[in-house]
Amino acid sequence: MARIAGVNIPTNKRVQISLRYIYGIGPKNAVEICEKLGIPDDRRVNQLTDEEVLRIRELIDREYRVEGDLRREVAMNIKRLMDMACYRGLRHRRGLPVRGQRTHTNARTRKGKAVAIAGKKKVTK
Amino acid sequence: MPRSVWKGPFVDGFLLNKAEAARASTRNEIIKIWSRRSTILPQFVGLTFGVYNGKKFIPVQVSENMVGHKFGEFSPTRTFTGHSSDKKAKRG
Repeated sequence: MARIAGVNIPTNKRVQISLRYIYGIGPKNAVEICEKLGIPDDRRVNQLTDEEVLRIRELIDREYRVEGDLRREVAMNIKRLMDMACYRGLRHRRGLPVRGQRTHTNARTRKGKAVAIAGKKKVTK
Repeated sequence: MPRSVWKGPFVDGFLLNKAEAARASTRNEIIKIWSRRSTILPQFVGLTFGVYNGKKFIPVQVSENMVGHKFGEFSPTRTFTGHSSDKKAKRG
Protein backbone atom coordinates (compact mmCIF):
# COMPACT_ATOMS: atom_id res chain seq x y z
CA MET A 1 0.00 0.00 0.00
CA ALA A 2 1.63 3.16 -1.17
CA ARG A 3 0.04 6.54 -0.97
CA ILE A 4 1.41 8.96 -3.51
CA ALA A 5 0.08 12.41 -4.29
CA GLY A 6 -2.92 12.26 -2.03
CA VAL A 7 -5.47 9.51 -2.32
CA ASN A 8 -3.91 7.20 -4.82
CA ILE A 9 -3.15 3.70 -3.69
CA PRO A 10 -1.85 1.68 -6.64
CA THR A 11 -1.15 -1.90 -5.65
CA ASN A 12 0.94 -4.80 -6.79
CA LYS A 13 1.46 -3.66 -10.35
CA ARG A 14 4.67 -2.44 -11.89
CA VAL A 15 5.61 1.05 -10.76
CA GLN A 16 5.35 2.45 -14.28
CA ILE A 17 1.82 1.15 -14.58
CA SER A 18 0.53 2.01 -11.16
CA LEU A 19 1.75 5.60 -11.28
CA ARG A 20 -0.72 6.13 -14.09
CA TYR A 21 -3.55 5.78 -11.62
CA ILE A 22 -2.68 9.30 -10.54
CA TYR A 23 -4.70 11.90 -12.44
CA GLY A 24 -2.20 13.83 -14.53
CA ILE A 25 0.36 11.08 -14.91
CA GLY A 26 0.13 9.06 -18.09
CA PRO A 27 2.45 6.61 -19.79
CA LYS A 28 5.03 9.24 -20.68
CA ASN A 29 5.30 10.86 -17.25
CA ALA A 30 5.27 7.50 -15.49
CA VAL A 31 8.25 6.26 -17.49
CA GLU A 32 9.98 9.61 -17.03
CA ILE A 33 9.61 9.44 -13.25
CA CYS A 34 11.03 5.93 -13.12
CA GLU A 35 13.96 6.93 -15.25
CA LYS A 36 14.74 9.99 -13.17
CA LEU A 37 14.80 7.94 -9.98
CA GLY A 38 16.54 4.93 -11.51
CA ILE A 39 13.75 2.51 -10.71
CA PRO A 40 13.99 -0.57 -12.94
CA ASP A 41 11.08 -1.46 -15.25
CA ASP A 42 10.12 -4.68 -13.53
CA ARG A 43 9.96 -3.30 -10.00
CA ARG A 44 6.53 -3.63 -8.42
CA VAL A 45 5.07 -1.09 -6.04
CA ASN A 46 5.09 -3.50 -3.10
CA GLN A 47 8.80 -4.07 -3.66
CA LEU A 48 9.65 -0.39 -3.33
CA THR A 49 11.55 0.65 -0.26
CA ASP A 50 10.09 3.38 1.90
CA GLU A 51 12.85 5.66 0.78
CA GLU A 52 11.98 5.14 -2.90
CA VAL A 53 8.33 5.85 -2.23
CA LEU A 54 9.35 9.03 -0.51
CA ARG A 55 11.49 10.06 -3.46
CA ILE A 56 8.67 9.43 -5.91
CA ARG A 57 6.34 11.49 -3.75
CA GLU A 58 8.78 14.37 -3.56
CA LEU A 59 9.50 14.31 -7.29
CA ILE A 60 5.82 14.43 -8.13
CA ASP A 61 5.21 17.21 -5.63
CA ARG A 62 8.03 19.22 -7.07
CA GLU A 63 7.75 18.78 -10.82
CA TYR A 64 4.29 17.58 -11.77
CA ARG A 65 0.84 19.06 -11.57
CA VAL A 66 -1.52 16.32 -10.56
CA GLU A 67 -4.95 15.58 -9.10
CA GLY A 68 -6.75 18.53 -7.53
CA ASP A 69 -4.41 21.19 -8.83
CA LEU A 70 -4.60 19.89 -12.36
CA ARG A 71 -8.35 19.46 -12.26
CA ARG A 72 -8.70 23.00 -10.98
CA GLU A 73 -6.50 24.30 -13.76
CA VAL A 74 -8.55 22.53 -16.42
CA ALA A 75 -11.79 23.79 -14.91
CA MET A 76 -10.38 27.32 -14.79
CA ASN A 77 -9.39 27.15 -18.44
CA ILE A 78 -12.87 26.08 -19.43
CA LYS A 79 -14.39 28.76 -17.22
CA ARG A 80 -12.22 31.37 -18.86
CA LEU A 81 -13.53 30.35 -22.27
CA MET A 82 -17.11 30.47 -21.05
CA ASP A 83 -16.71 33.88 -19.43
CA MET A 84 -15.24 35.34 -22.59
CA ALA A 85 -18.28 34.26 -24.57
CA CYS A 86 -16.15 33.02 -27.41
CA TYR A 87 -17.25 30.22 -29.68
CA ARG A 88 -15.49 27.51 -27.73
CA GLY A 89 -17.01 28.82 -24.51
CA LEU A 90 -20.49 28.72 -25.99
CA ARG A 91 -19.98 25.12 -27.06
CA HIS A 92 -18.88 24.22 -23.55
CA ARG A 93 -21.97 25.88 -22.13
CA ARG A 94 -24.29 23.96 -24.38
CA GLY A 95 -22.47 20.70 -23.84
CA LEU A 96 -21.73 20.24 -27.52
CA PRO A 97 -18.44 19.26 -29.18
CA VAL A 98 -15.97 22.12 -29.05
CA ARG A 99 -13.60 21.32 -31.89
CA GLY A 100 -15.78 21.37 -34.94
CA GLN A 101 -16.98 17.78 -34.96
CA ARG A 102 -20.27 16.89 -36.57
CA THR A 103 -23.37 16.93 -34.44
CA HIS A 104 -25.89 15.70 -37.00
CA THR A 105 -25.07 12.23 -35.74
CA ASN A 106 -22.74 10.93 -33.05
CA ALA A 107 -21.26 13.41 -30.55
CA ARG A 108 -22.78 11.24 -27.84
CA THR A 109 -19.85 11.65 -25.48
CA ARG A 110 -20.58 15.35 -25.15
CA LYS A 111 -24.32 15.25 -25.55
CA GLY A 112 -24.92 12.33 -23.22
CA LYS A 113 -27.28 9.49 -23.83
CA ALA A 114 -29.75 9.89 -26.68
CA VAL A 115 -33.15 11.21 -25.71
CA ALA A 116 -36.18 10.12 -27.74
CA ILE A 117 -38.00 12.93 -29.46
CA ALA A 118 -41.57 13.07 -28.25
CA GLY A 119 -44.16 12.56 -30.93
CA LYS A 120 -41.78 11.51 -33.64
CA LYS A 121 -43.45 9.20 -36.14
CA LYS A 122 -42.19 5.62 -36.23
CA VAL A 123 -41.32 4.27 -39.65
CA THR A 124 -43.94 1.57 -40.27
CA LYS A 125 -45.16 -0.24 -43.34
CA MET B 1 -1.57 22.35 -35.60
CA PRO B 2 -0.78 25.85 -34.34
CA ARG B 3 0.71 28.55 -36.46
CA SER B 4 4.50 28.82 -36.56
CA VAL B 5 5.80 31.29 -34.03
CA TRP B 6 8.31 32.84 -36.37
CA LYS B 7 5.50 34.17 -38.54
CA GLY B 8 4.06 36.19 -35.70
CA PRO B 9 0.34 36.64 -35.14
CA PHE B 10 -1.84 37.15 -38.18
CA VAL B 11 -3.56 40.54 -38.29
CA ASP B 12 -4.96 42.44 -41.22
CA GLY B 13 -2.81 45.56 -41.35
CA PHE B 14 -5.59 48.10 -41.64
CA LEU B 15 -6.88 47.07 -38.21
CA LEU B 16 -3.80 48.56 -36.61
CA ASN B 17 -4.51 51.92 -38.18
CA LYS B 18 -8.16 51.75 -37.19
CA ALA B 19 -7.30 50.88 -33.62
CA GLU B 20 -4.79 53.66 -33.39
CA ALA B 21 -7.26 56.17 -34.77
CA ALA B 22 -9.82 55.02 -32.23
CA ARG B 23 -7.30 55.42 -29.44
CA ALA B 24 -6.50 58.93 -30.61
CA SER B 25 -10.12 60.06 -30.79
CA THR B 26 -11.03 59.55 -27.17
CA ARG B 27 -14.71 59.00 -27.99
CA ASN B 28 -15.61 55.40 -27.35
CA GLU B 29 -16.86 54.46 -30.73
CA ILE B 30 -17.46 50.99 -32.05
CA ILE B 31 -14.94 50.08 -34.70
CA LYS B 32 -16.71 48.15 -37.41
CA ILE B 33 -14.60 45.35 -38.80
CA TRP B 34 -15.13 42.51 -41.20
CA SER B 35 -11.79 40.89 -40.53
CA ARG B 36 -12.92 38.00 -38.36
CA ARG B 37 -9.71 36.15 -39.15
CA SER B 38 -7.42 38.61 -37.38
CA THR B 39 -5.81 37.79 -34.09
CA ILE B 40 -6.62 40.03 -31.15
CA LEU B 41 -3.46 41.85 -30.14
CA PRO B 42 -2.59 43.34 -26.75
CA GLN B 43 -2.92 46.86 -28.16
CA PHE B 44 -6.62 46.24 -28.87
CA VAL B 45 -7.46 45.71 -25.20
CA GLY B 46 -10.12 48.10 -23.94
CA LEU B 47 -11.46 49.00 -27.36
CA THR B 48 -14.85 47.94 -28.61
CA PHE B 49 -15.13 46.35 -32.01
CA GLY B 50 -18.19 45.58 -34.03
CA VAL B 51 -17.37 42.24 -35.54
CA TYR B 52 -19.44 41.39 -38.60
CA ASN B 53 -21.12 38.00 -38.52
CA GLY B 54 -22.54 38.13 -42.03
CA LYS B 55 -25.59 40.06 -40.98
CA LYS B 56 -24.89 42.32 -38.04
CA PHE B 57 -21.97 43.89 -36.23
CA ILE B 58 -21.67 42.18 -32.87
CA PRO B 59 -20.12 44.50 -30.30
CA VAL B 60 -17.08 42.94 -28.69
CA GLN B 61 -15.41 44.64 -25.76
CA VAL B 62 -11.87 43.36 -25.88
CA SER B 63 -10.53 42.22 -22.52
CA GLU B 64 -7.12 40.91 -21.60
CA ASN B 65 -8.29 37.30 -21.70
CA MET B 66 -9.17 37.59 -25.35
CA VAL B 67 -5.67 38.34 -26.52
CA GLY B 68 -4.50 35.58 -28.82
CA HIS B 69 -7.97 34.59 -29.97
CA LYS B 70 -9.50 35.64 -33.26
CA PHE B 71 -12.21 38.23 -33.64
CA GLY B 72 -14.50 35.75 -35.33
CA GLU B 73 -14.66 33.62 -32.21
CA PHE B 74 -16.69 36.29 -30.47
CA SER B 75 -19.26 36.84 -33.14
CA PRO B 76 -21.35 33.72 -33.76
CA THR B 77 -22.50 33.27 -37.33
CA ARG B 78 -25.27 30.78 -36.73
CA THR B 79 -28.55 31.08 -34.91
CA PHE B 80 -30.11 28.06 -33.33
CA THR B 81 -33.45 28.76 -31.76
CA GLY B 82 -34.06 25.24 -30.54
CA HIS B 83 -36.39 22.48 -31.61
CA SER B 84 -40.13 22.87 -31.25
CA SER B 85 -41.43 20.69 -28.47
CA ASP B 86 -45.19 20.80 -29.17
CA LYS B 87 -45.22 18.20 -31.93
CA LYS B 88 -47.20 15.68 -29.91
CA ALA B 89 -49.85 18.20 -28.98
CA LYS B 90 -50.41 19.05 -32.62
CA ARG B 91 -50.87 15.41 -33.68
CA GLY B 92 -53.19 14.43 -30.85
